[in-house]
Amino acid sequence: MYQTRKTYIKSNMRMFDMINENPLLLLLLEHLSVDFAVADKTISRLCADEGIPEDTFLLMANLYNGFYPAKEEIDKVTDIGLILRLLKSSHTFYKEDKYPEILSYLQQLEKKHDTESIRLIRGFFTDYFKEVLEHLDYEENVAFPYFWALIAGEKALPSGDFKAGEYREHHTDIETKLTDLKNILLKHVTIQDDLTLRRKLLNSLFELEFDLMIHSLIEEKILLPLVEKVEENRLHGKMQD
Amino acid sequence: MEKCRINIAVIEPSSIVYEGFSTLLLKSGAYFGLFRVNDADELGDFISKENINVVICNPVVFQNRYNDFQRLRKQHVSVNWMALVYSYFDGQVLARFDEVIYISDEIDQIVEKLNNYCSDCHCREEQHEMLSGREIDVLILLVKGMSNKEIADKLSISIHTVNSHRKNIMEKTGIRSLAGLAIYAISKKIVPVDFNQA
Repeated sequence: MYQTRKTYIKSNMRMFDMINENPLLLLLLEHLSVDFAVADKTISRLCADEGIPEDTFLLMANLYNGFYPAKEEIDKVTDIGLILRLLKSSHTFYKEDKYPEILSYLQQLEKKHDTESIRLIRGFFTDYFKEVLEHLDYEENVAFPYFWALIAGEKALPSGDFKAGEYREHHTDIETKLTDLKNILLKHVTIQDDLTLRRKLLNSLFELEFDLMIHSLIEEKILLPLVEKVEENRLHGKMQD
Repeated sequence: MEKCRINIAVIEPSSIVYEGFSTLLLKSGAYFGLFRVNDADELGDFISKENINVVICNPVVFQNRYNDFQRLRKQHVSVNWMALVYSYFDGQVLARFDEVIYISDEIDQIVEKLNNYCSDCHCREEQHEMLSGREIDVLILLVKGMSNKEIADKLSISIHTVNSHRKNIMEKTGIRSLAGLAIYAISKKIVPVDFNQA
């Protein structure tokens, strides 16, 4: 999917080394509520201590390192709940950390340069943030409760006729607008000075972009196929009753 | 010629071949963006999303799927298709590609084949961002919120032409959302700040 120049992570490697090679793995740990003080633990040890299935952890970590999982690997994932928890936690990261941070940079920039372009960019971002919140709320209030009930094998599912496929269709252009914003700032709008502030802003945008990309890969390529399989089995089971 | 980046999508089932191929290409010093795509189904979205210029694929991928191949070629006319060949394929199969890379090729030869493609790629030259007069007309109407149909009527052109202008505008500016294009148009003074109220 993207440039693959990092280590393919295996269970006997030390987490510490992996973080050194790709600090973005800290995001993965945060999403899974795993402490950063990983000492000299191997991935195996870390997963055992944290009660995380090793296979699933490796699959996610390798996604962060640029390795796209094969179908057999995805099929092996048993803990769909872990994936849902990870997605939920990354929502919190977007809502409470990344988007407010970017907004604050834009506001600081607007304070210093009261130009039309910056006002518009801030407006663009504010609208965009609203869209993102709507999307995340939809996932948390409609899609996720459905998935949880589904994997728990509950008889009555929430959300009426909702099916996993709708979730696929509901995916909005969250990534598109983020790329637009980056391109506007890097290619089109000239702002005098304030390089430090703008660097911080751009770094935040890149970090968000990366995590959103992983997020939608997990949703579309791992979560959905797994959940659709459960749906299918359920339907099949019903017909046998 | 500007030093430009060529985005290459590679579909190659063998990891040994892919890893070797990508390492050599990235080390060649040429400016390539390299992406590995798992299969033909994934390719369609990927081409537009990552702005792919060249697809290099093992012809096996499209074996018995000639229709899919044709469809993808039609959908993405600006993409160059190269076969990566290390086993026997019929001449007819290879003729469907714009270029053939053989396992025995030296890396310089491969880079040259890729650069040949680049010489007629206009999108990446210095004037890259300059919109044509007609594209500017379309952009103005777009950010005013008109639909493709309304723009076509207003400018007396076909909807198909409007679409192709839209596509060029998005490619040249790197901006795909309407809201983003509005910021572009205002900051480049193509439309006045208060165009919304006008």
